[in-house]
Amino acid sequence: MSTIEDLVAAGAISRIEVEMTGREQAQRLLYGTPGFIEWLRKVINGEEPEGRVGQATAAEQIDQLFHAYLSGAPLIHVRQFRYIRAEENAVWELKTPDARIFGWFMKRDCFVCVFGDWADKVKDHDLYRGYRIAIRRLRRELGVDHTLCVQGVNPGDVLSV
Amino acid sequence: MTSFQFDIGGRARNAGRFIGRVRDELLKALSERKKDGKLSQQELATKLEVHRSLINRQLSGEANLTLRSLADLAWAMDMEITFELKKPVVEAGQNQPVMTSTIGHGQIKYIDGGRRSRACQTLAVSPMASAEATAKSLR
Repeated sequence: MSTIEDLVAAGAISRIEVEMTGREQAQRLLYGTPGFIEWLRKVINGEEPEGRVGQATAAEQIDQLFHAYLSGAPLIHVRQFRYIRAEENAVWELKTPDARIFGWFMKRDCFVCVFGDWADKVKDHDLYRGYRIAIRRLRRELGVDHTLCVQGVNPGDVLSV
Repeated sequence: MTSFQFDIGGRARNAGRFIGRVRDELLKALSERKKDGKLSQQELATKLEVHRSLINRQLSGEANLTLRSLADLAWAMDMEITFELKKPVVEAGQNQPVMTSTIGHGQIKYIDGGRRSRACQTLAVSPMASAEATAKSLR
């Protein structure tokens, strides 16, 4: 049975960190697949969606989202404007005005990012189903579909704060 | 690779997190008002004499928030705004704030148990420059 440490050692996932300020400490864990990290590198290098709607750049939006998640901040104030949404197949979506990140929770407060994409592209091409299937396939390939995967669809199932 | 630091640089980080914090405060206030049963988004739009879609786009982060629109939203929700700029407090044992972008320069090293090295002091952005950057991000 694979553990999180096994997955990291095998290079299947890497821990993702952002700068924490002052007395902040990470309250949650964030990981990404190599493909997702590659996407993050492009974002750091300035890749942006066509017709960005957010006031912040895509990189700033994602940093803010990661920081909110890692620092243990609430990700849902008002249901309509939540940062996180459950999909089918134990897949979750993290949202910024311009970006969508799909992945799954290995444990409570322990998310793996698998795909990053631009919100308009995901919506225009209805990529939700494809990402869901690909994430489930990846979990099976890694042998963690039944062991390192939270099945609940309520935010309280995957986030402790 | 066992870990990846998503480092967008101090200036961008400051701007993005500030914009996010403002939005979160608005959403928190709206959530409280909704729980009180005192204000819906439609009532907010009616009070401000704007279309509800504008309120939605502002709260979702899809429309720019000016200082005026921020003040208007706070007024409509019957909330006070507090705003303060202050020097960061650096104490031994806490995370050290990155004062400049580290993109292309490698990570800035801090030594002396919390006090910054001379090199870092030279690179440090003055409080005034920091305030100007914040002001620019508000425009």
